[in-house]
Amino acid sequence: MHLRVIATAIAAAAAGAVVLAAAPASAAQDSTVYVVHGIPGQPVDVYVNGEKTLPDFQPAKVAGPLELPAGAYDIALTTPGGDPANPLLKVDGAQIPGGANLSLVAHLTADGKPALTPFVNDTSKVAAGKVRLVVRHTAAAPGVDVRAGGTPVFEGLTNPKEAKGDVDAGTVNADVVLAGTDDVVLGPTDLRLAEGSATIVYAIGSAEDKTLAITSQVLTGLHSAPGGVPAGSGGLADSGRPAWLYPVAGMGLLLLLTGAGAAVRRSAIAGRR
Amino acid sequence: MRRRRPLLAVVAGAALLAAALVVAWRSGEGDVGEFGPALASPSSTAASRPATSPPVPAAPPPMTAALVPRRLTIPAIGLDAAVRATGIDKATGQVDVPRSVDTVGWYRFGPDLAARAGSIVIAGHVDSAEQGEGAFFRLRDLRAGDQITVTAAGSETREYTVDSRRVYAKSSAPLDRLFARDGPLHLTLITCGGAFERSAGHYQDNVVVTATPA
Repeated sequence: MHLRVIATAIAAAAAGAVVLAAAPASAAQDSTVYVVHGIPGQPVDVYVNGEKTLPDFQPAKVAGPLELPAGAYDIALTTPGGDPANPLLKVDGAQIPGGANLSLVAHLTADGKPALTPFVNDTSKVAAGKVRLVVRHTAAAPGVDVRAGGTPVFEGLTNPKEAKGDVDAGTVNADVVLAGTDDVVLGPTDLRLAEGSATIVYAIGSAEDKTLAITSQVLTGLHSAPGGVPAGSGGLADSGRPAWLYPVAGMGLLLLLTGAGAAVRRSAIAGRR
Repeated sequence: MRRRRPLLAVVAGAALLAAALVVAWRSGEGDVGEFGPALASPSSTAASRPATSPPVPAAPPPMTAALVPRRLTIPAIGLDAAVRATGIDKATGQVDVPRSVDTVGWYRFGPDLAARAGSIVIAGHVDSAEQGEGAFFRLRDLRAGDQITVTAAGSETREYTVDSRRVYAKSSAPLDRLFARDGPLHLTLITCGGAFERSAGHYQDNVVVTATPA
């Protein structure tokens, strides 16, 4: 059980400030924040700035979205109904920027210590027919490769990093192996990748305690329209004017006027005789 | 000889001019008539913040089966075509319109027949160089109020009433709106038309018919 490990890690966790340096954000807007519970076996109450915000939050669940203005936040995790003055995990002064989309993940580090790691969610548009696959290594386990249909799509992913790529939408049979090997540590499982979404998959738990698992969240509304609709190559519905039309009309008009002018002059001359 | 030349010129000129005018008039009959509301050209509005799904349980929720169109029937123009689900041509990033011109394609990444919002898009060839006129050749003859029936697998049907036909230059077609997944629910039929560029082998415009749920 992790209670003892969690308790002894409080000092180390409290000392670190969670800062998000690289998020391009508009300071005036709230940020959209999800919270992911990636620590197995321990439901928690989540306090944000002293307010109980997520009561009885179960492991492997994703909560949110919370809309939070930019600023510094004190975040604490207690046992359900526990005293916030005596938390299991605590981070003071976590910097949330404005206008960003974030997932705050409570998880175990590579060597099994609890931590709170923010990930910025890329919510830029995805090309038509595609989906953004994001995999986050938030488990107490060595580096891994993520495979789709047996072929590695992300290699050498370590805790607490993410790998992402825009791939064709559809269902893939996915598994996770120890980096560079065929030793399956998670899966295989059918992963449905919905077009126009960001599908974010978390590896959570502990290899040593045999609690490795997967949880996930899906952000929708990132789709793009197709680039066009090519629907005709026969020309039978052509409603354009032929290219020769204007030159021919012009020549006809010229001939008509020239001839008429000459005829009028001739009859005028004849008339004078 | 010299006496007849002006007369010759007048006759020849009139003939050429008449021929040109007749051709202009006849090809004008090929223009696709427009009616109903038009969509604004694509604007550079800032992208809206993404919609977010509700909190996700440990296992992804089971997929509900989409209500997939199988047949499209428009009695007013004698159209009765098979519909198959289609997506994106990876080489071009454009809709992968079914090659057989008798079959039309439902854009499977957009709303299906059970949707409550957005544009249900069905695209089909107006014609092809090899096969001649396609199922959508006569979309140009539809009128406001014509009825459309879309049949799904399992014989469930949905009825729609034509409310617009617009012609958009492909270079400025409002694709984001034509393929919108939000907003009022409607059916969108897309084909090609306008001037045909013989050297390129394609048309300049998209012809778009929209229909509202009956």
